[in-house]
Amino acid sequence: MEMLHYDFMQRAFLAGALIALVASALGVYLMLRRQALMADMLSHVSLAGIAAGAYLHWNPTLTGFAVAIAGAVAVEYVRRSYKTYSEISVAIIMVGGLSSAVIIMSLNQSVNKSFSSYLFGSVVAVNRTELMLMLAVSVLAALFFVLMRRPLYQMTFDEDTAKTSGLPVHWLSLAFSVVTGMIVAAAMPIVGVLLVSSLVVLPAALAIRLASSFAASIALSMTFGLGGVWSGLAASYEFSTPPGATIALILLVILLIGIGAKKAALQAAKRRSRRGHSGADAGGEAEAARFSSAVRVAEKGETRG
Amino acid sequence: MELVAMDDVVFGFDDVPSLEDVSLEIRSGEFVAVTGPNGASKTTLLRLMLGLLKPWKGKVSLAPRGTSGRKLTIGYVPQQIAAFNTGFPSSILEFVRSGRYSKGSWLRRLNAHDHAMTEQALKQVGMWHLRHRKIGELSGGQKQRICIARALAMEPDLLVLDEPTTGMDQDSRFGFYELMKAQTEQYGRTVVMVTHGLSEVSPYLDRIIELERKEDGKWRCCTTTSCRGHFSPAH
Repeated sequence: MEMLHYDFMQRAFLAGALIALVASALGVYLMLRRQALMADMLSHVSLAGIAAGAYLHWNPTLTGFAVAIAGAVAVEYVRRSYKTYSEISVAIIMVGGLSSAVIIMSLNQSVNKSFSSYLFGSVVAVNRTELMLMLAVSVLAALFFVLMRRPLYQMTFDEDTAKTSGLPVHWLSLAFSVVTGMIVAAAMPIVGVLLVSSLVVLPAALAIRLASSFAASIALSMTFGLGGVWSGLAASYEFSTPPGATIALILLVILLIGIGAKKAALQAAKRRSRRGHSGADAGGEAEAARFSSAVRVAEKGETRG
Repeated sequence: MELVAMDDVVFGFDDVPSLEDVSLEIRSGEFVAVTGPNGASKTTLLRLMLGLLKPWKGKVSLAPRGTSGRKLTIGYVPQQIAAFNTGFPSSILEFVRSGRYSKGSWLRRLNAHDHAMTEQALKQVGMWHLRHRKIGELSGGQKQRICIARALAMEPDLLVLDEPTTGMDQDSRFGFYELMKAQTEQYGRTVVMVTHGLSEVSPYLDRIIELERKEDGKWRCCTTTSCRGHFSPAH
């Protein structure tokens, strides 16, 4: 634990934990809404904002933040014209963001160098402003996910039925996109483009396969995310490897091990059931698997009599 | 009480209207089937009714309140809703319970009544014994059932079902018709259902709304046939 004596490592562990928790919870929703690549796209779009900020001599972190939110809102509107192909909207906005980022960067050769830190992140060089921004965004995102968990569940499953059951799906979806933009923009200068998308996609991808319920999938995703980030940071300190890439690689390994373990468990269960009982309670199940309008009728009779 | 009214509605997806002259009304407590051949815009009619699509012309109105005087609750089961989102990581119980979320605030604690309604709905579709399974593991017919259960758990004033019996065997279909009829009779709920199996379901129905083709190829609504002479809806 000697590494925790260093100020910069403490900050890295704290910032990493915040990002890991919000990004991996966000990932579950994004994945189920067919927008897994949204984080990747938004981080590229926010790069355009950072470039513009540097060119105009404004604070690049803040311009990146604003542009990412604008990008998220744009996706929301493009998505509505490609209802069944959510991923198309991501691709469309990504083209716009990345191409303008490259053009703006070419206008100002001198700032070009610092962009590599945005691509690959500098979690061990996180400064106080970035940490504070991340903290504020995490609190906001946590509030959103906790307070809106029921409407989000309904909307994520199916937007039409959510609408007919009276939810303001339009606003909820827009708010969700804005929160996504904020998380990505706050996380990007700290962990970089690569790590933002791996933190959003990888833990959620595994959690969705393993979890038996929705609540469990979010909890699992956050656990994998946090575990991956902390062990990645420790490994990167130990072996002097770049932290962002180390974390991403560890998350990928966790995913592969998880999927492998799930497959092995399924195989074992199959073998057991082949040897063991053979449809003893199948009759009972078939009996239970009937429509019955009688449940309520019987109850009514009881209460009346 | 009139729950749904459509008045001279015109709608189309591109520049030509596909539905014209749609005028109908549905009163509370009715069990209504919407029928017509493939491509007759039955689903479109339902979506217009629910306000998911905006008509080009004409007026669609949904009663703001149900018979109980509370805000109108709609349980909608789209066609093949279960076919997509197969990897959705949710237990059946959690999914059907989400039908209760629309009652009251988003944050309130679920009470005994919520759990009772969830249990009842799952038992009514015969899925209670599978409640801890993941929804992704179910067959198409079973997914259809839990979607119906979620709609029932809402205690809806209006149940709108788009070909709910697709993929069900004969016993299940008749069980389902019984269940829907019981919903209208015991609770005064209104059921609107798109179906192709009219011959089977007609003994249970109050009314049939049929989409038919005009001479110029467009679809129009509606011939309504009353199915049971003794039925006279309360106005």
